[in-house]
Amino acid sequence: MPEPVAWCRNARLSAGVFLLLAGLSGCASLVPQTMALRDAWPAGVALRTELGEVPFFPQQDYQCGPAALATTLVDAGVRVTPEELVKLVYVPARQGSLQIEMLAASRRHGRVAYQLAPRFDDLLREVGAGNPVIVLQDTGVGPIVNWHYAVVVGFDYPEGELYLRSGESKRLAIPFTVFEYTWRKSNYWAMVTMRPERMPATATEGGYLAAIAAMERVGDGRAAMLAYSAVLDRWPDNVAASVGLANGHYALGALPEAETVLRGTLARHPDSVVVLNNLAQTLSDLGRNDEALALVERAVQRDESPFAASVRDTHALILRRMDRNR
Amino acid sequence: MKSALTRMICRFLAIALMALPFQGVQAGMIGTDQVNSAVSVQADRSAVLNYLSRSQTVNELQSLGLDLQTAKDRVAAMTDDEVSTLAGQISAAPAGADAGAVILLAVIVFAIWYFAFRR
Repeated sequence: MPEPVAWCRNARLSAGVFLLLAGLSGCASLVPQTMALRDAWPAGVALRTELGEVPFFPQQDYQCGPAALATTLVDAGVRVTPEELVKLVYVPARQGSLQIEMLAASRRHGRVAYQLAPRFDDLLREVGAGNPVIVLQDTGVGPIVNWHYAVVVGFDYPEGELYLRSGESKRLAIPFTVFEYTWRKSNYWAMVTMRPERMPATATEGGYLAAIAAMERVGDGRAAMLAYSAVLDRWPDNVAASVGLANGHYALGALPEAETVLRGTLARHPDSVVVLNNLAQTLSDLGRNDEALALVERAVQRDESPFAASVRDTHALILRRMDRNR
Repeated sequence: MKSALTRMICRFLAIALMALPFQGVQAGMIGTDQVNSAVSVQADRSAVLNYLSRSQTVNELQSLGLDLQTAKDRVAAMTDDEVSTLAGQISAAPAGADAGAVILLAVIVFAIWYFAFRR
């Protein structure tokens, strides 16, 4: 009679058992996304990937949160240990870490924390692109709930298993079915922590801009500028990203760089009130008030814009400076 | 607003907020936050309500074992939406802890296999 632990390690056997049981009891509905993968593997994603370089931090006690977060942050170039992350994410009375705090803590280390869409496809695509993914699982059964963070670092679809850094295991092989059973209960919650100059493979424009703004809020302006540049590489037309990048230059006193970025954006979006305003402000600060006035007057005409008040302020400032110069 | 007291607190906070340095605004430049939300009419009211949510969340984290500065630093790293989601929910939200019950799951599935199929 094989021991339970050894049996658990035989992924194909356990996958087969699980599927057999699921099929017999009509519970393929327990793992719908795994079922869907059989019909449509995500396009362009290799069937086997393993990110062997991702570090391993065996967790202590109830601290899978700090361990998982240290795993992806160190992989993204941060020098940090799980012990240092305890005071950023661990909640003593809950003996665990909250999802929102996992996202927030990443920002404090200059990494963009991005929550993935709740789809198996997206998880596979991210790992396939070289990004380890933190997932929240419920490893309990039925009414027993046991929340746990692990990091997905690879998968082998023909073998039917994923590879996780989890708890005390550097390489936990888990069948797709069992993994989905545990992951589904967190509503397929998953996140990545990105170096600012790289974007997640599955990022959306709006979602990723919000993620960058969240990091900027914590104060890492230079990291935010790198991230906005990455957004512009993928979506050159994005106004918010170029405004963000130009604002970053402006805050550092790099006015000519701010002007260059904003002029590029203005060429694509000649009627954008935000761009007109910010470029006018920048030019005025550079002492070029005539050019600034021409631009802000275009913006002033758009008095239905939500930024009308800011534009009027800029207009007034430029006129005052021109008066002083006379 | 539910009561005269709440209204008074909100008015006081609104005035207090105006005296605080507003994070992220540079003179004359429209900031990324404004571009993202693009509707500034509700901004003042949202700012006050958000301030209350943040204070509430800080208090909740303190009651769960964190010291004041740690709680403040952690709440400061959350977005407005995150704070709204979390305020009042900290006791119920999932808190990832450990992998313990993976073995339990394996044992149960194994037990089913053993008794249902092995004989």
